[in-house]
Amino acid sequence: MADSKKKNKTPKQQQYAKFEQQFETKRPVLKNCIKAFFVGGLICMIGQFISYLYIYFFHFTEQTSGNPTSATVIFISMLLTGFGIYDRLGQFAGAGSAVPVSGFGNSIISAAIEHRTEGFVLGVGGNIFKLAGSVILFGVFSAFVVALIKTIFLMMTGGL
Amino acid sequence: MNIKKGSLSIIIICFCILLTGCSKGSDHSRWALFKKVDPQPLSIYAEDGDSSLVEGIKKDTASVSAIYDVAVIKGKKDTLVAYKVKHMSRFKMKSIEKELTKKLKSDYPDEKFTVSSDFKIFLETMRLWDKMQDPNYSDKKANKRLKAIIKLNNELT
Repeated sequence: MADSKKKNKTPKQQQYAKFEQQFETKRPVLKNCIKAFFVGGLICMIGQFISYLYIYFFHFTEQTSGNPTSATVIFISMLLTGFGIYDRLGQFAGAGSAVPVSGFGNSIISAAIEHRTEGFVLGVGGNIFKLAGSVILFGVFSAFVVALIKTIFLMMTGGL
Repeated sequence: MNIKKGSLSIIIICFCILLTGCSKGSDHSRWALFKKVDPQPLSIYAEDGDSSLVEGIKKDTASVSAIYDVAVIKGKKDTLVAYKVKHMSRFKMKSIEKELTKKLKSDYPDEKFTVSSDFKIFLETMRLWDKMQDPNYSDKKANKRLKAIIKLNNELT
């Protein structure tokens, strides 16, 4: 792949690419991965702790505690985004803060803050689900497809 | 910096109070989520020979290699078996439940079992177990609570 790209370039372009490489700062991929792993793990640990709180103090089972736990984590991340704390965490941890469900809350509120100057309806209302909308749509649609496949499979096999 | 340290220590103290101050005495249920408690199996309407039945149920359940903590309470009609599954075996939760139900049904065909690996059900079983240690806690109340726990187990949402 790299060779074919190289072949398509003119000698001048190749020379420039070589020159550019000298000044390019290397991405600390391993360091970023470790940071993302630990911060993402920490967020999940907090989520697990909240889940235990719901099981211990409220009327939720292990199965049903997942819903209020996600809602709580999303709400906390929304608050932290509003206070400007989650942005710093995002800069530090990268994917570690975006992949857990807390990243969903962050994507909603950051879009709302960004477009606040354009007004409440066209700005906030029109753009609040700019990032999270596709996630919701994809989630709902894939759940529908999986449920459809499962239903067809159960109908064909008679529930095994 | 001092304010930050102070608020952090207040949060830690509040958390410790929250964990330790909510129930009195040396209850088993308080730590049931975090460590192995291994309670004695109980029968609400205990008659002679009944304890051997619940002990047998517990022994059978504990014989499954992936299970490590078992609580058994037998009511008037239903028998509740709550257990914890070893961490690395939690991927096979459904098959363990299936295997256990099959085993218990074949060994005790006259009993009606409710088996659960849910932490909440284990916790509530332990809370009932703690209450049953009090001689003033009536059998009727215990059976009613047992039915409520079984109902909670059957709730899906």
